[in-house]
This record gives sequence, C-alpha cells and structure tokens, in this order.
Amino acid sequence: MNKLTKIVTIVLAVVMIFSAVACAAPAATEAPAQATSPAGSQATQQPAATEVPAQATTAPAAPADQKPVKIAVAGPMTGDNSEYGIGFFNAVTLMAEQWNAKGGINGRKIEVVQFDDKNSPEEAVSVANKIVSEKDIPFIIGHFASGVSMAAAPIYQANKIIEISPSASHPDYSSIGDYIFRNNTVIKYETQASLDIAVNDMGKKNIGIISIKTDWGVSTSKIATELIAGMADKGVKLVAHEEVIEGSDDYRPAITKLNDAGADVVLCVGMYGLVAPVAKQYKEINPNISIIAFSNAYSQQLLELGGDAVNGVAFPVVFFSVSSDPNIQAFVKSYTDKFGSAPSALTAQAYDSAGILFTAAQKVGTDDPAKLRDEVNSMTYPGVTGSTHFDQNGDVQKPFTKVEVKDGKFVLMGSK
Amino acid sequence: MIIQQIFNGLTLGMTYALIAVGYSLVFGILRLVNFSHGSVYAFGANIVLYLISLKFGLGPAILIGILLTGVLGVLVDKTALEPLRKQKAEPVASLITTIGISNIIVNLLTALLGSQKRAFPSLFPAGDILVLGIKFTYTQVGMFVVSLLLMLILLLIVNKTTIGLTMRASEQNIKAAQLMGINVNFVISFTFFLSGLSAAIAGALVSSYYGMTYASMGYMAGLKAFAAAVLGGIGSLPGSLLGGLIVGVTESLAATILGSEFRDSMAFIILIIVLIIMPNGLFGAKSIKKV
Repeated sequence: MNKLTKIVTIVLAVVMIFSAVACAAPAATEAPAQATSPAGSQATQQPAATEVPAQATTAPAAPADQKPVKIAVAGPMTGDNSEYGIGFFNAVTLMAEQWNAKGGINGRKIEVVQFDDKNSPEEAVSVANKIVSEKDIPFIIGHFASGVSMAAAPIYQANKIIEISPSASHPDYSSIGDYIFRNNTVIKYETQASLDIAVNDMGKKNIGIISIKTDWGVSTSKIATELIAGMADKGVKLVAHEEVIEGSDDYRPAITKLNDAGADVVLCVGMYGLVAPVAKQYKEINPNISIIAFSNAYSQQLLELGGDAVNGVAFPVVFFSVSSDPNIQAFVKSYTDKFGSAPSALTAQAYDSAGILFTAAQKVGTDDPAKLRDEVNSMTYPGVTGSTHFDQNGDVQKPFTKVEVKDGKFVLMGSK
Repeated sequence: MIIQQIFNGLTLGMTYALIAVGYSLVFGILRLVNFSHGSVYAFGANIVLYLISLKFGLGPAILIGILLTGVLGVLVDKTALEPLRKQKAEPVASLITTIGISNIIVNLLTALLGSQKRAFPSLFPAGDILVLGIKFTYTQVGMFVVSLLLMLILLLIVNKTTIGLTMRASEQNIKAAQLMGINVNFVISFTFFLSGLSAAIAGALVSSYYGMTYASMGYMAGLKAFAAAVLGGIGSLPGSLLGGLIVGVTESLAATILGSEFRDSMAFIILIIVLIIMPNGLFGAKSIKKV
C-alpha cells in the first residue's frame, strides 16, 4: 500500500464523515407551515427552564383548596427552533394570565407547565409519557414540527389528552385520533390561496413551481400540481416543476429551466431561505417574473436577505401582525410589551389554541375528557387568527389575508 | 439552454478552482490535505461582509478582508500545524488537527455573527449582455474574469518569482531546500497566506453571486473544491483549474438533465470515478515521493 493510497483512503473516510454529518443535520428540522413574524426572534424572552409552573398572577378569586387547571406546552425550548417553542409558551402564558386576572377557570387558577422536546421525535415521546404520567394535565399545546407532533400524538390519544398543535401541517397528523387537533391551516387550503393570488390577483396563467425536497415541500408541491391541473379550464397550466435541495444557495440551473419553459409566475414552495435567493437570482435573468410563496415566507429575514428583489413577492397569511383589527392590535401590543417582540403567526395560533381549551374547560370542566373533547370540537372561537372551528378531522380552515412585499415592507395586497 | 447552463457551471467552477488551488498549494509542500480550508473560505466571505457593513468603502473592505483571511491561513499553520511538524508527528495527526481547526473557525463565526444567512451586496453592476443567445450577467462575467486573473497571478508567482522558486524547491525536497538556505517555515507560511487569499476572494465572489453569506457555507464548497483538486491532480495548479471547471459544469448539467437533487453529489461521484481510473488525477502524473 503506497502512500498515496493511504492518503486517499483517509481522505475518503473524512469525506464520508463530513457528508454524513451534513446530511443528518437538517433532517430533524422539518419545515413547519409557517415561520417567524417580521419581528424576528422571540428568543429574547427566554424563560428559564426551572420556572416551570408559570403562575402569572395571584388571582385573589381562587379559593385556596381548588386545584389549579394545568396546561402543558411542549415544543423546542432549546436549540435551533427554540424561538417557536418559546413563542408557544409565551403565548399560552399570556392567555393564562388574562384568564387568571379574571378569576381563572370557574375559580380555579391556570398553571402553565413547560416541556422541552428539542424538536426531536424521540424526546417528544418521552415528554408525552411524562405529561401522561402527571395525570392532572387534561390538555397540551404542541408540538412544533409535524413529524414530532405525529410521534407524540398516539400517546395523547391513548390517554385521552387533548393535543392542539399550533404548527403541524402534515396532512396525516390530525387523523391520528379524535383527541388530536391542529390550529393551523391544512396545506391544501393555503396552496389554494397562494394559487388564487397568482391566477386571480395577478392574472397569470403559466405557473412554474420550485419546491424544496423535504416531506412538507414534496407533499405541498404535489397538492399544488393537482390544484393547477384542476384549473385547466381557465387556461392555467403548470409549465415546469423543479425540485431543489434546501440551502443549496444556487438555484440558477432550476431557474433557467423554469424561465425557458415560459413561466410568468413562480410558486416558491419553501421558507424564506428559498424565496429570497430565488427572487434575487430569477430577477437577474427575468426582471418581470412574479413570485408567490407561502405563509412561512412571512419573516423579517425575507426582507433582509432578499432586499429589493423580494418586492412584489406575495403570499397568504392567517395572521398579519400589522393588521388594523383592534383585537389583533390589542394582542400584539400586550405580547410585545411583555416579551419584547411581536408575535408570529404560529404564536398567535398557540394563543388562540389556549383560548379554545380554557373556554371549553370553563363550560364543561376538566373531569370528563370525552365531554371536554366534544366541546373543543363543537365550538367556534373568535380569536386573533380569525374564527376557529375544528372539523370532524380536527383540522381548521381560516380566512387568509393576502400580503405582499412593497418597498421593503409587508403590506396588505393591493394597498397603496 | 444547455450552453447557458454550461456557462453557469463554468462561472461556479471558476470559484471551485480558486478554493481548490488552496488545497493544492498546501498539499504540494506539506503533503497535507488542509481540511480547514473550507472554513477559511467561509471566514473570508463573512469577514468581508462584516467589513462592508462597517461602511468605509467597498474596495478597502474587500481588500482588508482578503488580507485578514490570508493572515488567518498563516495563523492556522503557526498555531496548530507547525508545532506538530516540530515534533515530527504522524501526518494523520495534522490532518485531524485541520478538521478540528475547521470546527473552531465555523463555530467562532456562528458565535460572533450568528448562524442565519445574511444578505451580501452585489459586487458587480446589475444587467447582462447577450452574446449568441446566451445571457451573461455582469456578475458572472466579473466572477469569471477575476478568478481567471487570480489564477494567472498565482501561476506567475509560483513559476516566475524567487519565492515561487523556493516554493517549488520545498515541494520537491523540503530538507534539501532547507540545506540550500531556504527559510522553509517562511515558505510554508507564505503558502498558507496565498491559499487564504484565494479562498477569501472565492468567498467574496461566491457570496456576491448567491447574494448571501453564512457561517457554515464552507463545508460543501470546501468538499467540492477538494474533489476538484483531486480530480485535477492535487498539487497541480492547472489541474485545480481544470478540476474546478469540470466539477462546476458537471454540477450544472446534472441539475439540468438529472434534476437538482443530483447536483451536490456530482462532485463526489466524479471524485470516486477519478480515483478508480486515474488515482493521480488529470495532471498529477508524477508519483508522490516520500518526504
């Protein structure tokens, strides 16, 4: 064995290790339906892990012998996606404080208990088992990523604990059981809303899709393809579909193909990390291209990364923090005052989810899980993300607000 | 469209070549694959962006950033590799040390600047020229020309200057070179400096091409450039150039014909094929001598 062979062997081994590491890293962080708000990171308000029972106010109305109502918040409180988990926790805490200030649920105070699943399915299962073993937690808000939520859901279902995920968008999640809900729009409706912007608002007919190759990206682009096929009678057609690896930075080969296929509008199935570079690189070769995206592009990062190129990028959202609705304004203000950053769409959905659970508990109590479940499923809750009503599956459908980027800001579509 | 894609690939390949040169230069003298090189490239891009954000002018910011990256290259050698050489450690020890350094650099960047992607300004004016139906954006043309010029300058330095002569001498026989009165440690430092410079220039060009910079950008680029260096025959500068271009064009064509998901694997597929068919690479005809 000569020296060169040796060197080459070592080097190959190293290459394999590197690529293994590089592949493994992003696998856990599956794309959620929606990303951060323009206010960016909420990690500024990191609650210490020890401060678990966040008893917000000392509501005088609560009799001392009444046991508190416990609600669990499970999500990534540390690590890469911690801003989402902490956002959930903050939102639920805020809602609990508002309830406690009014005397709690039928005189019982609300206690928020935090669990950290590190956005990993394995951790989520052990968190779920822990929540179950506590025996006095009737409902939980969480988990964050679809894959993680789906790992934990069967445990909640078996123990009749109501789970509402403010973020899971995988089509299969809510069908795991009747105690499993999601307060996040199923991707189909959002895709429909995105395409509606392209076809009806922009009047485009030749649609190109560029999608990331993750679980979410693949299923979303498949739904989009089907929806476009259904609009063939209006002259709308899919001219090209390109799949790209998230984070490969250079999308020019895919863009060249889309452009040659004659796309006049491109649907970006990905988060801001895809939308910003695609907008930049596409406008180099075709400044007239229109770009539509999904609500997970709704992030300050999109504006920072994309600069001038993202002007005109449009997408649907269910929660728009600069909306003029007084309810939303009040929520955004109290959240921002307390935690120092504006709430994101997912945070708002966690806030509403907590409201739904507390309202149901107020009405039927927490002793009978079946009654509580039925109440959650049957009510219509007017919240900051529109009126929420779960269907038989445990899914919600919400009205979308169309947002576009104009002069480096998010504005309502069509506003001057 | 194919011609357009080939040109896209050539532009990208040029920057791989610039990074690959860094591997080749160091390997030529030390017989060491410097795995910290990808991180040095990332450092170059990030430091240039940081200096640009301080707003004392684009030109000086880039220049200082490039020089600082060169200094980082020297620092890597002085702090981590030279002590090992003095102790006559196994080559594998040095190799593993460079991986460690790579992690230190990337994590320092993450700690200081954060892990998010940040926008990088365009270094060339917007717009394009149409030649024979192919669209050349100014950025692509600029990248190509700058990389080519840099390549030529490096070739001139290595082949026509005194310091280049000492580099080649050390490459052939480091001990004999020392006996002839060449300050081998200086030559090695200079080599690391050059490789740092070219990495930083590649980093700035690529960041401007992609429009963004982030701490971990060096992993993939470093590995692909390494594949390019081996493909061309590690240790050979023209080899690095050709290897980089081949990797760039294959990637671009693979993305067009096979689909974007094949893109990142192309460099390594080529690497494996080359190692099976011609283990010395395209230009690495001379077999490697014992040091």
